[in-house]
Amino acid sequence: MSNPENVMSADYKEALTSLLFQLADDDLMYAFRGSEWLGLAPHIEEDVASSSISQDSMGHAAMYYQLLEELGAGNADDLAHSRPSSERRNSILTERVNGEGVYMETPLYDWAYAVVRSYFYTQAKKVKVESLCKSSYTPLAEVAIKVKMELYYHRLHWETWFKQLMGSTDVARKKMTDAMTLVMTDFGDMFSFGTKKQLIESNRLIEPEEVLLQNWKMSLEPVFTGLQMTVPAVPVPKKNGRNGEHTKDLDQALRTLSEVYMVDPIAVW
Amino acid sequence: MESIQSTSEAERLARFMERIEADEKIEADDWMPDEYRLTLIKLISMHGMSEIMGALPEKEWVPKAPSLNRKLGIMAKVQDEMGHGQLLLRVTEDLLAPYGKNRGDLMQDLFNGDLKFHNVFHMETKTWADAGIIGWLVDGAAIITQTDMLRASYGPYARALKRICAEEVFHAQHGESIILALVEGTAEQKEMLQEALNRWWEALLMFFGPASKETTGSSKQDLTIKYKIRTKTNEEFRQLFFDKYIPRILSLGLTIPDPTLHFDEKANLWTYQQPDWSKFLKIIRNNGPRSQARLNLRRTSYENNAWVRDALRATVS
Amino acid sequence: MAEEQSFYQEYEIFSKRTHSSPFQYQFSLLAPNEDMALVLAQENFMRREAVVDIWIVNRKHIRKMNAEEKLSLSRLDNKDYRMTKGYGYLRKKWRKYEQEILDEKEILSWGGKRK
Repeated sequence: MSNPENVMSADYKEALTSLLFQLADDDLMYAFRGSEWLGLAPHIEEDVASSSISQDSMGHAAMYYQLLEELGAGNADDLAHSRPSSERRNSILTERVNGEGVYMETPLYDWAYAVVRSYFYTQAKKVKVESLCKSSYTPLAEVAIKVKMELYYHRLHWETWFKQLMGSTDVARKKMTDAMTLVMTDFGDMFSFGTKKQLIESNRLIEPEEVLLQNWKMSLEPVFTGLQMTVPAVPVPKKNGRNGEHTKDLDQALRTLSEVYMVDPIAVW
Repeated sequence: MESIQSTSEAERLARFMERIEADEKIEADDWMPDEYRLTLIKLISMHGMSEIMGALPEKEWVPKAPSLNRKLGIMAKVQDEMGHGQLLLRVTEDLLAPYGKNRGDLMQDLFNGDLKFHNVFHMETKTWADAGIIGWLVDGAAIITQTDMLRASYGPYARALKRICAEEVFHAQHGESIILALVEGTAEQKEMLQEALNRWWEALLMFFGPASKETTGSSKQDLTIKYKIRTKTNEEFRQLFFDKYIPRILSLGLTIPDPTLHFDEKANLWTYQQPDWSKFLKIIRNNGPRSQARLNLRRTSYENNAWVRDALRATVS
Repeated sequence: MAEEQSFYQEYEIFSKRTHSSPFQYQFSLLAPNEDMALVLAQENFMRREAVVDIWIVNRKHIRKMNAEEKLSLSRLDNKDYRMTKGYGYLRKKWRKYEQEILDEKEILSWGGKRK
C-alpha cells in the first residue's frame, strides 16, 4: 500500500486524499495570511525574516497539492485557487483575518495574534510532520522529511517572539494573552481529521488525533512552565474546517487569492 | 580623529577631495565635509525609503498572484525590496549618527513630508500586468541608476548596492517571466499588458527626473557627480534605459504610447515626447495619485505596531 | 525620537558558508537583543546562500581604529626578507645540486597521503 504504483484501495485513497487536502489547505491559508503582512510588520528586519516563513509554508502547500495532483485529484494550481470554501479542509485558525481592515487600505493587523497563531500553528505542524515522517504512504513521508527541515527555523523564530513579548511590558503581555484566547477559540479542529478520522487513522497515514494533541501540549510545556503559565486547553470545535465548515473570513481570503486566476482559469499566467 | 591640531578645515577638505579623486572609498567613521554627508543622507535615505514605500504597490498583487509559483516569486521579490530598504536605511542611520538621529526619525520625516519617496511609487496599480511592468521596466530603470553607483565613493553605499544589484538580476527575470507569459497568452492577457504599459510609460519617463534643474527648479545631480557618487546625468540614464528596453518592448509587438518616439542616428539619441513635468512636481510634493494612500498605509501600520517596538525596547539586553 | 533611541542596538552579522570556510562579514541589522538578532540574521542577509554557522556581534563590543590609529597600518615596501620572493635565487642554486626548491606548491602538497 505504500507505493503510488501499487493499486490503492478506494478507502485508502479516500483517506489519503482527505488528509492531503487538510495539510495543503492549512499551509496555503497560513502562508496567505502571512503574505498579507508583507511590508507591514513592526520592524523592517522582521518583515524580511517572516516573509521567508510564509514562502516556505506556501512551498510546503505546493508539495502537498503536487501529491494530490499525482493522485489524479486535479492540477495543483487549480486545487489551490478554484475550490469553493465548502470544499476547503483547512482549520478555522488558519483562515482567520489578521485583524481589522484590508491590506490595501488601512489594515489594523494584530501582531500579537500573528505571533501566537504562528507559534501554536507551527508547533502543531511540527508534531504532525514528525508523525508523517512514518506515514504508510511513502511519498508523503518523503515530503514530510523535507518539510521538517524548515520547521526548525520557523519554531525558533516564533518561539523567540512568543517568549520575548510574553516577558516584556504589561501592554504586550495583555495583548498576547488576549491573542491566545482568540487563537484557542479556533483551535478545536487543529488536530481533527473530521469525518475521515477512522479511515485516516486505521490506514496509519498519521498517528491518531489524541496522540498528536498530547504531543503538542508536551512540546509547549517547557516554554509555558518557564513563563509560569499553563498550556491552554483545546476546546471542542464549534465549526470543523476538516468537514468544510468555515467562516466568512475564508470567503474573503479565497476571493483575494483567486482574483487574477479567475479572470481566466485556463490561461497560463 | 580631531587630534591633529594643525589640520585646518581647508586642508582636511583638500585631503578629502584628493581621496575622492584617487577613487579611494570613504567609510562611515572617516572625516567628511558636511556637504558630502548631507548629500549622501538625502540620496540614500530617499533610496531606502523608496524601497520600503515601493514594496507597497507591488505588494498589492502578492496575495492575488495567479498561481502558486507566481505567489512565491512575487513574495520573494517584495521581500527583497524590504531587504533593500533595510540595507539602505542601515547605511543612512550610520551617516545620521553624528546628528543623534535614527530610523524612528526617518519614519517621522517620511510621515511629515520632509523625506520623499521615489515618484514612480506614487502611481496606482490596476491589474496583474502592473506587477509585470513594475518588475520588468520599473526595476529595469532602477537597475540603470543603481549599477551606475556601484563604484560610488562612499564605501558602505557601494557595498549595499552590490548586494542589491545582485538581487535585481532575479527581479529583472521575475518581471520578464510575467511579461512573456502575458505576451504569449490570450488576447485578453495581451490587452491587459498593453493597457498597463500605456499607463506606466509617462511614469517611466519621469523615473529619472528632469534633464536639468531648469525644468523643475531643483536637482541634486550636480553634487552627486562632483563627489563621484554617480557618473551619469538624469538624461543619460533615460537614454540608456531607452537603448536597453525600447527594442525589447517593440520585439514583443507592444506599442509604446508615443508616436514621436524615434532614434536620431546623427545625435545618437532617442527623441521622445516629454512627460508632463507639472505632474512630476505634484507627485514629488506627495500629491500624486496614490501618495497619501500609501503614506497612510505606512503610517497606520507603523503606529498600530508601536506597542511591539515598546515591548522589544523593554527586552534590550 | 528618544522613543526609538533605546530600542535599537546595532548587531554585526558574520557567517560561514561551509564548514571549512572562514567566517565572513555580511552586514549589520537592528535588534533589541542577541536572541532576536539571531532569528533575523539569516533571512536578512543569506536568503540565497548556504550557511553552516552565524555569529552575532554587538557593534559596541568592536574596538575600532580612529583615523590617527589607521596611520599606524602603513608599511614600507622593503620587506622581501619576509617573503618567498626574497629567496627566489635559491631555485637556481638548487639546480646545481639537481634538487628542487621547497616552494609553496611543494610544501603544501605534503598534507595528504604519502605518495
